[in-house]
Amino acid sequence: MASLHYWARRLIQIIFVVLGIAVINFFLLHLAPGDAASVLAGEAGAASPDYMAALRAQFGLDQPLYIQFARYIGNILTFNLGFSFRQGLPVLDLILQRLPATLLLMGTSIGFAFLGGSALGVLAARRVGRGADIVISTVALLFYATPLFWIGIVLVVVFSVWLDWLPVGGMSSIESGYGGIAYALDVARHLVLPAVTLGLFYLAAYTRLMRASVLSVMSRDFIRSARARGVDERRLMRRHVVPNALLPVVTMLGVQIGSILGGAVLVETVFAWPGLGRLAFEALFQRDLNLLLGILLCSSIIVVLVNLGVDLLYSVLDPRIELN
Amino acid sequence: MALAEPDELGAPAGALMPQSGPCLAMRLLRRPCAVIGLILLAVILFMAASANWLYPDDPLDMVALPFLWPGDDPAFPLGTDMLGRDLIAGIFHGARVSLAIGVVATFVSLLIGVGIGLLAGYHGKRLDQGLMRATELFQTIPPFLFVLAVVAILQPSIPAIVLAIGITSWPGLARIVRAETLKLRQSEFVEALIGMGLPSWRIILFHILPGTLAPIIVSASMMVATAILTESSLAFLGLGDPNVISWGGMVGAGREVLRTDWYVATLPGIAILVAVLALNLLGDGLNDALDAKQHQ
Amino acid sequence: MPRLSRRSAVSRLALASLLAPLGPELVLAATTPRRGGTLTAIVQPEPVVLTAAVNTAAPTQFVSGNVFDGLVDYAFDLSLRPSLATSWEVAPDGKTITFHLRQGVLWHDGQPFTSADVKWSLENVWQTIHPRNKSIYKNVETVDVPDEHTVVLRLKAPSLAIMSTLNASGATILPRHLYEGTDILTNPYNNKPIGTGPFVFKEWKKGEYILLERNPHYWDQDKPYLDKLIFKVVPDAAARAAALEKGEAQYAILSPVPLREAERLGKLPQLRIETRGYEWLSPVFYLDFNIDNPYLKDVKVRQALAHAIDLQAIAKIVWYGFAVPAISPVPSTVPFFHNPDVPRYAFDPARAETLLDEAGLKRGANGVRFKLTHDFLPYGDDFKRTGDYLKQALKRVGIEVDIRAQDTASFIKRVYADRDFDVSSSWNGAFPDPQMGITRIYWSGWVGSGTPWTNASGYKNPLVDDLIDQAAISPDAKARAELFRKFQTVVQTDLPTLPLAELRFFTLHAANLRDLTQQGDQVYASVKNAWFDTSAE
Repeated sequence: MASLHYWARRLIQIIFVVLGIAVINFFLLHLAPGDAASVLAGEAGAASPDYMAALRAQFGLDQPLYIQFARYIGNILTFNLGFSFRQGLPVLDLILQRLPATLLLMGTSIGFAFLGGSALGVLAARRVGRGADIVISTVALLFYATPLFWIGIVLVVVFSVWLDWLPVGGMSSIESGYGGIAYALDVARHLVLPAVTLGLFYLAAYTRLMRASVLSVMSRDFIRSARARGVDERRLMRRHVVPNALLPVVTMLGVQIGSILGGAVLVETVFAWPGLGRLAFEALFQRDLNLLLGILLCSSIIVVLVNLGVDLLYSVLDPRIELN
Repeated sequence: MALAEPDELGAPAGALMPQSGPCLAMRLLRRPCAVIGLILLAVILFMAASANWLYPDDPLDMVALPFLWPGDDPAFPLGTDMLGRDLIAGIFHGARVSLAIGVVATFVSLLIGVGIGLLAGYHGKRLDQGLMRATELFQTIPPFLFVLAVVAILQPSIPAIVLAIGITSWPGLARIVRAETLKLRQSEFVEALIGMGLPSWRIILFHILPGTLAPIIVSASMMVATAILTESSLAFLGLGDPNVISWGGMVGAGREVLRTDWYVATLPGIAILVAVLALNLLGDGLNDALDAKQHQ
Repeated sequence: MPRLSRRSAVSRLALASLLAPLGPELVLAATTPRRGGTLTAIVQPEPVVLTAAVNTAAPTQFVSGNVFDGLVDYAFDLSLRPSLATSWEVAPDGKTITFHLRQGVLWHDGQPFTSADVKWSLENVWQTIHPRNKSIYKNVETVDVPDEHTVVLRLKAPSLAIMSTLNASGATILPRHLYEGTDILTNPYNNKPIGTGPFVFKEWKKGEYILLERNPHYWDQDKPYLDKLIFKVVPDAAARAAALEKGEAQYAILSPVPLREAERLGKLPQLRIETRGYEWLSPVFYLDFNIDNPYLKDVKVRQALAHAIDLQAIAKIVWYGFAVPAISPVPSTVPFFHNPDVPRYAFDPARAETLLDEAGLKRGANGVRFKLTHDFLPYGDDFKRTGDYLKQALKRVGIEVDIRAQDTASFIKRVYADRDFDVSSSWNGAFPDPQMGITRIYWSGWVGSGTPWTNASGYKNPLVDDLIDQAAISPDAKARAELFRKFQTVVQTDLPTLPLAELRFFTLHAANLRDLTQQGDQVYASVKNAWFDTSAE
């Protein structure tokens, strides 16, 4: 019963978020000066007023704003994200084309950051004040403070150009025509640098957080008394300290999912990764508002879904927490 | 990058009472990390304060040959960039701009975040519900995309960048302040004040706000660091203000000569790193110091 | 002004040698073209559509030029060379133009290419939706097709500019059988083009690449030599440089990497830098002065600004030598129309100050005469750097400049629709005929129309309008050139627009990619002559 209530509440929340985002973004983005027709005409290098008028009529930009808005909301309510005139495809198609790349990149980065960060955090906490802790904490702090795009460029120069170990960018080697496992390996090779670039900042963040969290859990009474009773140290870590210490890290992951998507814009730009972040960036500057609205909606839904996952994970890590 | 959320390291829970200043300062000075952070920050503040006095000329002036490497000419210890602008003058003046962007953007975000947090936490019920829904809504929009959109709409200039960072980085803070306020609101002390018939604005401003200051201060130092990183990312994507010199703008401009003249982008990049490092160390130190106090 | 350092003087000398034609090396290498291989080119930004008939953006033309053929193409000196048309005649009165078409040419879907395709494309595309050609083809009254391989244009008034538009990207011929009766702008074949050209469209993976394959039935025997042609989308400049350096891509056009980076890459043994192939485009970079501004409305002030700006510094330092100072709006790369005898404004800050004093704009107590804003073209760092330079140069003569950055949509609205600016920068392709790219900057009818890259300054001079209109319908090539020379003298005297530099765009390609650059419109033409030389391996 409680869980039914929980799902109903979540569903209402999602609907609320979707509509809210649609309304805010629609009006926000229409404040931007210039329109898609002028961008297209500008890129064409030459144009005439009737060419631009024809484009505007084709895009529906000649309609008053309230009609455009009514149409847009009407579309959303029927699960239709509209049409990108710029790209000549329905927005949903475009998003679905790019979504796998972004999910792959984000998933790998988060996995890398979460696993690596937790492990390093535990390691540092176990050796608190000693060499390993100092090295881990210092390096984490440095990565935490370095601009992300900067790391990306340096990684390309070192690992692609100097050492020639990994490809410069893109998602696959087109000319090779790989299939099956060879293709998967090829994509994996292309994935390494962007995923590491995007993940390093969060790795640093989670390392710091996990270290603090482990230290705080270890100072709690029930752990202290267990230690005093001579409970096996490893068992204690695995069974009690780590699960409890993971709670704030998981929370943080839920909170940061939106910002990881934002970071994807930079990483996808540096590495020519064909994902949603770059598409959003381009849509913004091309005034492809239908597409941009669609991507923003889609990323908001991802954020809500991930937070849903975080709640579920919570109840796994700590059975005392119920879904409510 | 708007990557770090203000509640990154978990603000100290339940710092109920206003801090006594000197005691906190002593505590802070006993932490080596915090001391290093303070020293670095002092260096950067010195650079910002002395820029006009040490380098009185416009740092955007083309004063020498382009691409003088650091050490080529003692008059330009850090060398010059592609248009012959003095890099050290740029870094000193850039400190002013970058810090100003960080501080003002954080201030904007504090105004919104603290305001919403206090109102929601104090009044509860409908208002709380409404404000928290709005906060959640803002939290689901990827903050960096939001910043990009706002800067694109307002056009890249310092006020636009500050505003964009300010209005996108408050939700985390609002939630922390709300949680603190909720706790204080339920305390007997506040119940008593309400019973005495004090107007709620006075209770909020003079009795609840001071109690939430500790997490706000910790968050603020992190938010300044994040704002500086965000500005540099915007500049990287070509959305900096071209009329003033900021570290982000210098990195952005130097990026295209990275492979040939790496120092042009690297030196201001190091300045960003140092500033962000200093603020984070200070934030950590404050957090620990406040934590320790609370554990007493 | 910064002088040139020894270090950069040396590197710029080295650059000059890089830019020299590649004669001696080619002699040593194999000279017989070899079949086979995949060429990976970089296209940036990603094209919107793949058919230049409906969109003349550079990335579209870059891809489209390999799928479609033009009636002709253009040599380095901009003379016409046969392609789908084997010969042509223009009647002495300029009112009849006849094309004789190549026989036995097939569309990629196997249908024959005939005069009906040309007639249909002219009437339905070039005369109606093509953004650049509309005014040039408006005088064509009827198109006769006496047989399948002859096209005769009958004009109410001459329009010699037509002869400069006839290549694959200037006047794309669409397959009538796939387009007739459809909405041309939304026809699905715009994104999976069917042409007659040397490469056949295979696949477009959005955000990643476009794949073309060799056309085995191509009319030009043995060509193309390459089996596959891939256009990869690489949005970041540093990544483009790395991809070229590593050999992951072997061909990129339109200055694909930062200029400073180009100097470095051009010296690598595996890469070549090439500035030919842009003659048909002939880019010219200029400042527009808003002559409705209370200061800039005075021609003396505009001339003072011209004297305050060092065009050499812009070409050598700001553009790293990838530009030469402009003399007139019609660049020297279009020799038939270029007028070298227009008024010139030597770099002379003292003269600039005198002119400003004469205009009654004395320096104030703080040394400032007046303030201007500058909106730079949002097409990359080179234009921003030019703005940085401008700010400093004008500061020296007492004019304070506030630089405004913005994105393309905002820029076009502000400069061409709202005209809410003082000084803006922009570049146009001049093309072989001033009517295609230059007169639009000065013709009064464009003021405030919101149409990008037209008359932003607000300049309205009946004499200039008249010269432009006369030249458009003049049947005599020499007389036209004379009219355009006079036009250049007038606009360089009034100076509503200050030409800054003829840009020297460059192409980077792999050193073993031979015979790539063969014509004046190469960047928008096909790579059918290119082949990989593996003899050194």
